[in-house]
Amino acid sequence: MRFTDLLTVGGKLYHETHFAPLLRMQGEINGIALEIKQAGGDRLPVLISSAVKNGSTGEPLLIRTTVFDARDRRAYEEELLRSRKAAEEARKEAEADRARLQDALAVLQQSLLPATLPPVPGVETAAHYHTASPDRLGGDFYDVFPVDGKRFAFFLGDVCGKGPQAAAVTSLTRYTLRAAALHDPDPVSALTTLNKVLQERYTGGDPRYCTAVFGVLEPASATGQVAVRLAAGGHPPALRADGTADFLPTPGGLLVGVLPAPHFATATTTLGAGDTLLLYTDGLTEARTGEDRATLYGDEALRDFVAGHAGKPPQALVQALTGLLADFGDGLDDDTALLALGVPASGPTTKNPL
Amino acid sequence: MSPLRITTRDTATGPVLEITGEFDYTNATELRDLLGTLTLRPGRRLVLDLAGMTFCDSSGITALIAARNHVHAAQADIALAAVPANTLRILRIVGLDQIFPLYPDTDAATRS
Amino acid sequence: MDIDRRNNVTVIGNPQGPAVVLAHGFGCDQNMWRLTVPALVDDYRVVLFDYVGSGRSDLAAFSEDRYASLDGYARDVVEVCEALDLRDATFVGHSVSAMIGVLAAGMAPERIGALVMVAPSPRYIDDDGYRGGFSAEDIDELLASLESNYLGWSAAMAPMIMGNEERFELGEELTNSFCATDPDMARVFARTTFLSDSRDDLKSVRVPTLVLECTQDVIAPREVGAFVHRAIPGSTLVTLDATGHCPHLSAPEATNEAITGFLASLR
Repeated sequence: MRFTDLLTVGGKLYHETHFAPLLRMQGEINGIALEIKQAGGDRLPVLISSAVKNGSTGEPLLIRTTVFDARDRRAYEEELLRSRKAAEEARKEAEADRARLQDALAVLQQSLLPATLPPVPGVETAAHYHTASPDRLGGDFYDVFPVDGKRFAFFLGDVCGKGPQAAAVTSLTRYTLRAAALHDPDPVSALTTLNKVLQERYTGGDPRYCTAVFGVLEPASATGQVAVRLAAGGHPPALRADGTADFLPTPGGLLVGVLPAPHFATATTTLGAGDTLLLYTDGLTEARTGEDRATLYGDEALRDFVAGHAGKPPQALVQALTGLLADFGDGLDDDTALLALGVPASGPTTKNPL
Repeated sequence: MSPLRITTRDTATGPVLEITGEFDYTNATELRDLLGTLTLRPGRRLVLDLAGMTFCDSSGITALIAARNHVHAAQADIALAAVPANTLRILRIVGLDQIFPLYPDTDAATRS
Repeated sequence: MDIDRRNNVTVIGNPQGPAVVLAHGFGCDQNMWRLTVPALVDDYRVVLFDYVGSGRSDLAAFSEDRYASLDGYARDVVEVCEALDLRDATFVGHSVSAMIGVLAAGMAPERIGALVMVAPSPRYIDDDGYRGGFSAEDIDELLASLESNYLGWSAAMAPMIMGNEERFELGEELTNSFCATDPDMARVFARTTFLSDSRDDLKSVRVPTLVLECTQDVIAPREVGAFVHRAIPGSTLVTLDATGHCPHLSAPEATNEAITGFLASLR
């Protein structure tokens, strides 16, 4: 009878592929867990250690093997193994849960923003959304959509607060503005409807507000010019870039949702060939540029930056601003939305904007 | 960073809250919690003295609006005193400079 | 891809001599050839390597998909041969590696010119009219043995197993380190090895082949050796008077003599 005859078949395999070669190579092997077949058919968990005894010239004479009863220890190890498996399962489950949550967040986040902007005749559009944290649903929003045969509405804004509650307001705001504009595309009327909805929805101790600028584009196919009418509530002024850049002031427009009958500021302008209107949220202008929390990028710097890119089509301007946002690094800790609407410059550059 | 501190004192016209330090999303609820403990009688005025406020973000602004709603619900009045330039700029952008009575200092706010 | 690093390739011996590739089987690594190498280094260029997941191979290169079939391991062999630009090499494969060599020779006939199959088995599990020596349940039992021994090694380190500390590195203090491979990868190799059936591939062997079997081998019984010999046209069968599955360790002189004799016959 050979030693391996005591082992289970799996144990024999293990013996031949691991135990025996190691014993040959090392001269000894310790603490290998195997099972010995008992007379009654049961199995006895054991720990086996073996050492080769060599003769005076180094030739192997015999193998000394010690067998320990390892029933208790094996039970303990199996418990450990079960716990490890359980912990592993739990970790996998947690990871899967997290992935599902991320997917759900991504879908919700996408529902807050248009997947693409619709083509607007005679107008080039570009947008960018910077998310401060992938785990945190954004509170900024923008959209562009047709309201009738010839006019398009656009809006951009920022819901006060962060997280899922803010995202819920963002969603309500986006779809309210879209519905309101189909009913009556007048900018003040759309913001007033939104104000009513927010007031009605968030009564009591948990008021919710947003800043918003809402506008209507009316391209005149004959002249190639685009008439813009907009209204703003609590939102930083839009920038209008032609040869240079200037704010389109909308002073005194109140945050949407604060008062039952607020005042919204209006402005009008006409975009000619090469002119661009830039809407942005204050993540951009409030980005920290110094050690100090109060040293911010600011309106003036933004105007100078846009003036430096005046004449560029919306896509190029948004691209440049995206680079600026990236340069802010940690200084940019808020969501930021950008929306640029421009009339392509006439001449060959129209066909090749970049 | 300077931590937020809110101190309360009573004047003839009503309570004055001095807000000092950075007022942001990490602590904006402190104002609301504090207001819950104040009893405001109709016709009185709550003055928020912001002279020592070094920073205010959108959560801080939201807390100011919540304070206004709270005070109005009690049929009382609210005023802001000594608003720092940075915050005043934001209040103008969001149009709140028109709905909050603004005063250069607490004296002026409690006199009128 | 750095094949040298991936498979921990070692090249020693006579750079002008014919190439001999020594391939370890399931269980250990290239250290298994330590008693064979001295017999070859004077006359042959000896190439040693570890399969991915074994020895000091690059564990990051492991792919469960690739190594779920012997073809994946055979592709590694071909890539090692290509990286060294070996031609007409003799491939010495132990156990499952003998079959991996058959597959590799089929993939790259210009690289592999002869085969030495040490204790080969083309199929471990019994089949109609074929006795491999094992049942599928036996293989499950082996997997359990693997598992309990990886745990056994580290039982004193229970907190680490439980994930409270960083996963322990297999270090020199572990005496059983020659077989120290990642348990998950070892499981894949075990399953691929013992559930494989390469009987049909034997017929396609077109190179001179030496089959070495042991008189007493639990894993590859003599009838399996005879099967392999019969299936490979023109092969030579040598039965070593050795016990166990590793004649190159248990009977190194006889094994070396058979290998060098075969190599000499090729020249």
